[in-house]
Amino acid sequence: MKMVKAEGLTYEYIKMLETDHGTEEEKVSALKAVNLEIEKGEFVVVLGHNGSGKSTFAKHINALLEPTKGTLWIKGMNTKNGELVWDIRQTAGMVFQNPDNQLVATVVEEDIAFGPENMGIAPAEIRRRVDEALATVRMQKYATHSPSKLSGGQKQRIAIAGVLAMKPDCIVLDEPTAMLDPVGRKEVMETIERLNKDEGITIILITHYMDEAVRGDRVYVIDDGEVVMQGRPKEIFSQVERLQQYGLDVPQVTEVAHFLRMEGIDIPPDILTVEEMVGALCQLKLTT
Amino acid sequence: MSIKINHLTHIYNSGTAFEKKALDDVSLEIRKGEFVGLIGHTGSGKSTLIQHLNGIIPPTQGEILLDGENIHKDKAKLKEVRRRIGLAFQYPEYQLFEMTVYKDVAFGPTNMQLPKEEIHANVVSALETVGIAPELYEKSPFELSGGQKRRVAIAGVLAMNPEVLILDEPTAGLDPKGRDEILQAIKRLHEERGITVILVSHSMEDVAKLVDRIIVMHDGKIAMLGTPKEVFCHVKDLESMGLAAPQVSYVFTALKEKGYEVPLDVYTVEEAKKVLLNFVKQVSV
Amino acid sequence: MIRDITIGQFYPVDSPIHRLDARVKLTMTFIYIITLFMINSFIGYFFVIGTLLAVIKVSKVPIKFMLKGIKSIMLIIIFTAFINLFMTRGEQILWQWGFLSLTLEGIFLALKMCIRLVLLIIGSSVLTLTTTPIQLTDAIEYMLRPFKKIGVPAHEIAMMMTIALRFIPTLLDETDKIMKAQQARGADFDTGNLMQKAKSLIPILVPLFISAFRRAEELAMAMEARCYHGDENRTRMNRMTMQRRDYHALVMGLVYIVAIFGLRYVSYLLPFII
Repeated sequence: MKMVKAEGLTYEYIKMLETDHGTEEEKVSALKAVNLEIEKGEFVVVLGHNGSGKSTFAKHINALLEPTKGTLWIKGMNTKNGELVWDIRQTAGMVFQNPDNQLVATVVEEDIAFGPENMGIAPAEIRRRVDEALATVRMQKYATHSPSKLSGGQKQRIAIAGVLAMKPDCIVLDEPTAMLDPVGRKEVMETIERLNKDEGITIILITHYMDEAVRGDRVYVIDDGEVVMQGRPKEIFSQVERLQQYGLDVPQVTEVAHFLRMEGIDIPPDILTVEEMVGALCQLKLTT
Repeated sequence: MSIKINHLTHIYNSGTAFEKKALDDVSLEIRKGEFVGLIGHTGSGKSTLIQHLNGIIPPTQGEILLDGENIHKDKAKLKEVRRRIGLAFQYPEYQLFEMTVYKDVAFGPTNMQLPKEEIHANVVSALETVGIAPELYEKSPFELSGGQKRRVAIAGVLAMNPEVLILDEPTAGLDPKGRDEILQAIKRLHEERGITVILVSHSMEDVAKLVDRIIVMHDGKIAMLGTPKEVFCHVKDLESMGLAAPQVSYVFTALKEKGYEVPLDVYTVEEAKKVLLNFVKQVSV
Repeated sequence: MIRDITIGQFYPVDSPIHRLDARVKLTMTFIYIITLFMINSFIGYFFVIGTLLAVIKVSKVPIKFMLKGIKSIMLIIIFTAFINLFMTRGEQILWQWGFLSLTLEGIFLALKMCIRLVLLIIGSSVLTLTTTPIQLTDAIEYMLRPFKKIGVPAHEIAMMMTIALRFIPTLLDETDKIMKAQQARGADFDTGNLMQKAKSLIPILVPLFISAFRRAEELAMAMEARCYHGDENRTRMNRMTMQRRDYHALVMGLVYIVAIFGLRYVSYLLPFII
C-alpha cells in the first residue's frame, strides 16, 4: 500500500477582494489536479516558491484541509472520511514552520506527551514514548526545560519529538528550517535524515532550500498549484533554467557546472555538491 | 558622516546570575557610503552591536561616535541619531500597524515632525526605492504578500531619510524570488542614494554578492574584518565559528588541497564560472 | 521591567516544597491567603511571617526571587498605603491638611494593609516558584472537576492557562522587539501627556494583537494536527498521586490554622499587644 496517494487532488477556496465596487468573490485554486504517489520509507521533497500551493498540499496530508475535488489516501485511508481523521493524523504527523507556535506546554517533556495524551495512551506507555522520542532527537538533557529558553533548532527538534511520540509512519515537515539560523538548520536536517534512515519513517519535506532538497530520494516541484516536475534530485537539478523559471534556486556548484557545460566542457549535468564538482574537475584533469 | 565605535562593551543583566557579556571591547569604524556585511552565528553579539549603533541600547562601557560626537552625550539628540541611522529589525513586517501602506511608511517621518510636503516626498521616494507600486499605497499592509510586507517595512525606515541603513536579516524566511527582490532594493538604495548600508545576514551567498567589507563577530568580539576576498579564503576559520563560506569557495579550497594551482579568493558564482572555465581549458590544452 | 514578573516563573531546584503535590500546595496557599485576612494582631503577623520564612528556607528558592514579584506591584502597594494613611478617620489626629488627615489608626491600618499585600504576593510566589505551571494547571483542573457538573469547563480553563503561561515569555519578547522597532522609527513612549502616551501605545498594541492572533491560529492548527479534541478520552503522562509527605504537609497546615485561631483568641484576651 502506498504511504500517500493523490488522485486529481484539487483545492479551491473563495477569496474576498476589496474593489471599488465593493467586495467581490474570487475563486482561487491552490491545488490543481495533483497526482502523486509516495512509497513507505521514502524521503520526498516538495519544492516551490511561496504561494505555489506546497503548504496547502502539506495540510491535506494531515487532513487539516479537505480536497474540493479528487482524493487523497494516507496508507489507504481516504482523508475525506471524517471518522478516520484521528487515525490519519496519527499516521502522518506534521511539523510546522514557526517553532514558537507549535509547542503547547511549558515543559519540554510535557509537550512531547501532548500527542499521545490526546490519543488516550496509557500513562506508562506515554512515559516510555516520550523518553524514546527525546533520545531520538538527542534532547534528553532538556527534558525538564522550558521551551522558551531553547534555540530555534532545538524547538524544532522538540516539535519533531512531539510527532514521533505519536508513532507515525510518515512525517510531513512544512518549511521546518525557514526561520532558523545555519546551525539550527543543520541540526534539524540531520535529525530528519536520521529518522528516515534509522527509523524508516517516510519523510515529506516541504522547502525552498535547494541544499536541503538534494538530500531527498525524490523531488516534486509545485508551481501555481500543479506538479510541474518530478524525479530524482539529479534529474531535477540538471534543468537549471526551468527551475529558475519557477522562481527557484539551484546550488551554486550546479549553476557553475551548468555554465561550463554550456561552454562546451564535458562535465556531468547532475552535479549537486562540492565533492561532486571537485571530483568532476579532477576527472577532467586526469583524462587530458 | 562616519561611525566610530571605541572599546564598546555591553553586559546584559549585569550583577545577576544571568550576567552575559554580549560585546567585549569592540572597536570599529564605518565610513561614509560603505556597504558592510556583518556576519556571526546566533549569540555572537551582532544584534547587540547594531542596536547600539542606533542608540536603542546604551553601552555598558565605551562610546559610539557619530561624526566625532558621542551619541549618548545629549539625550535630546538621540532621536536625531535614530533618524540618521535607520535600523530595520529582523522580520520587520511584524511592526506594521497602520491602516494603509502609505500611512505606515509615514509613521517615522511624522514622528520626526517634518513638514507635510517633505513627509510625502520621503514616503513616495522610499516606496519607489523598494519597488512598491503606487496602486498599493492605499491598501492595507496586511493584504500584501510576505515579500511586499517586508519591503514596505523597510521603506518605513528609509522614509526617515537615514544616512546609514542597518538591516538585520532582511531575507530571513523568504523564498528565492522574495529574497532577490529585497536584495535588489537594497543594492539600488545603496547605489542611488549613496547611503551607508550595514547588512546583517546568515547567508554568505547574499553577503558575497553585495558587500565591500565584512565584519565577522564571534563571542562578542570582532573575529575577522576585511574584504570578502580576504574573509572567505579562511574557510576553516569561518567553520570553526559555526559559519560557512559561499558554496563555490569550497570548490577552490578542495582543489587547492588536491594540489592544483587555483586562487582561493573566489566567492561569487560569476567569478567562479570565469576562473573554472580557464582552469578547465588549461587542463585541456 | 516587564521581565520582573515572577508569576508563572518556575524556579527549578529540588526541595521538599517542590516535591509536594500541587493540589496540596494550592490548598495550602488558599488557606494561607484566607488567614492573612483573619489575623488582627501584630503577633499574628509575626507568626505568619515566621512560617513563611521557614517555608521559603525549605523551598531553597533565593528570597530575592520572591521579592521580585513585589517590585511589579509596588505602585499598588504605595497607593494602598496612601489611601489608608490619609483617608482613615480616627480619633488621634496627628496632622491635618484639608480633607487629608493623618491618624494613628491610619498608620496602623496602612501598615497592616501593606504587610498583607506583600505577604500575599510572596505567598503566591512560593506556590508559582516551586510548582511547574503544568502541575499547577493540572491541580486547578483536578480541583475544578467537581464543578464540571454545573457547567464549569475545568479542562478548557486549565488548557487556556497552560497556553497563556507558555506564551507569556514569547509575547514579552515580542513586545520588547516591537517597542524597539517603533523606537527606531522615532516613536516616543516617555514624553507627552496621558493622552499622547495612550496614543503612542497603538503602534505597539496593533502589531502585538495581530501577531497574537496569528500565533493562536497556528497553534490551534498544530494542536489539531496532534490529535487534540478536548478532554474526551484524554490521558495524562503524569498522574497526581498523594504521597505520605503530602499528608504530612496537610497535617502541618491544620496545625497552622489552629495556631492562627489561637492567636486571634489571644489577641482578644490581651488587646494591648495589638
